[in-house]
Amino acid sequence: MITRINVGPIHPGTHGVLRLLVDVDGDTIKKVEPHIGFLHRGVEKLVENRMYLQNPVYMEKLDYIAPLAFDELYVSAVEAAMGIPVKERAQYIRLIQLELQRIASHLLWLGTLANDVGQLFTIFMWAFSDRDKVLRLLEESAGTRMFYVNQRMGGLIRDQPPDFAEHAAPLLDYLDQRIAQFQEVLEKNPIFTERMKGVGVLNREDAIRFGVTGPTLRGSGVDYDTRSNQPYYVYKKLNFSPQTRGEGDAFARYKVRMLEMKESIKLVRNALKSMPEGDALGMQIRLINPVPKNRVVTVSRETPRGEGMMYMVADPQRPYRLSIRSPSFINLSVLNHIAKGHRFADLFAILASLDPVMADVDR
Amino acid sequence: MKIDRANLASAIEEGMAQGFDYLVKITAVDNIASLQVLYFVRNIAQNKDELLEVDIPYSDAWVPTVTKYYAAADWYEREMAEMFGVDIRGRHVRRLLLEKWDGVEAPLRKSFGWGSPTYKSEE
Repeated sequence: MITRINVGPIHPGTHGVLRLLVDVDGDTIKKVEPHIGFLHRGVEKLVENRMYLQNPVYMEKLDYIAPLAFDELYVSAVEAAMGIPVKERAQYIRLIQLELQRIASHLLWLGTLANDVGQLFTIFMWAFSDRDKVLRLLEESAGTRMFYVNQRMGGLIRDQPPDFAEHAAPLLDYLDQRIAQFQEVLEKNPIFTERMKGVGVLNREDAIRFGVTGPTLRGSGVDYDTRSNQPYYVYKKLNFSPQTRGEGDAFARYKVRMLEMKESIKLVRNALKSMPEGDALGMQIRLINPVPKNRVVTVSRETPRGEGMMYMVADPQRPYRLSIRSPSFINLSVLNHIAKGHRFADLFAILASLDPVMADVDR
Repeated sequence: MKIDRANLASAIEEGMAQGFDYLVKITAVDNIASLQVLYFVRNIAQNKDELLEVDIPYSDAWVPTVTKYYAAADWYEREMAEMFGVDIRGRHVRRLLLEKWDGVEAPLRKSFGWGSPTYKSEE
């Protein structure tokens, strides 16, 4: 007999305002129907009424776990429409900030994932305190802890402080040790591995067919990362290599994110070593007609949740149309496919392994 | 690449044969005179992206579904149907996705709402 269970929209396991209608037969999931839109603000419509420089604040609230990623993506789209290059030093600083943001975002995900699979609060507290250390470092660089709005066309609103590298080095060493410690605690715990391995399997063909992105795509063995496939800034120069796993289950997606954090640490170290001297400041604010003429641009960036893309039809004064490809949106759409046939309790492990942010799904 | 609505299915089939098996996004632009539906497709193996543009008139705003080729199209089509009032023909699931404003004018069209700039500056 099929029973329909309602989960959410306010539920600790759904990581935001997500409502799931789950059809179960006994304890086995037959169908999951995500109902989204509870956090729909109409961002794509809002930006059409505002000038270019009024929009980054909205972009940062798209993904409130990694605000900088979408801020930078939007500013890059405007830069592409304006046809201006980014200063070399600013490229390094942006890369450092984006990678620190990725670590902070993955740490928050790790804490909530561990909570969802029964590792109550120990990992959560550790991960949150470590995330706070990363945010403090970001604060030194960008000026604020959470919502930065520090990108300007062609650069940033301010340079990094001169002693930033000295402060960053010990934290990076600490994070290196700490990630190993997280892995030790989680992967040697049979409860964690049994709840993650072989759960929510998404094979390579289906990952492509469903259009998933980011760690979800790479966890299914598809070697596609915007940082290496559509290289931007200095990722190529700093020997970035994408992290993939072939199993396609929740554990593979966990592994990819853990490896990505290590890769981010490597990238920040390399960037701090090879960062050139010079000017990193962006151009002065120009409110009237910053874009010389109508342009259509498409810009992609690897956000912590996957490939974010902006397609912008740019008017001289404001975006005529801004279409946002949200990675959480498409990753969440695969939930029904991978949760079918599993136990009801696995639904939360599977959902957490997809790492959706509802503000980003609903826009 | 600009294509006709009538040729959309065959163009996508041809693309699939060439390895464009990953759908990045389906979206639309309201150009006042008409609507433009955009299909961003990707060939992951060869790292190539392609954009298919389909112009459709306001009075007859529909496109055929591409869910047969891309499972990813499901949510994108539902979102576009709701936000731009584009009817998607040949679909099984027709439930709207975000606000479920059935019968209300499509919110991302330029004619919707207050103060929405309905001009597009001349080049």
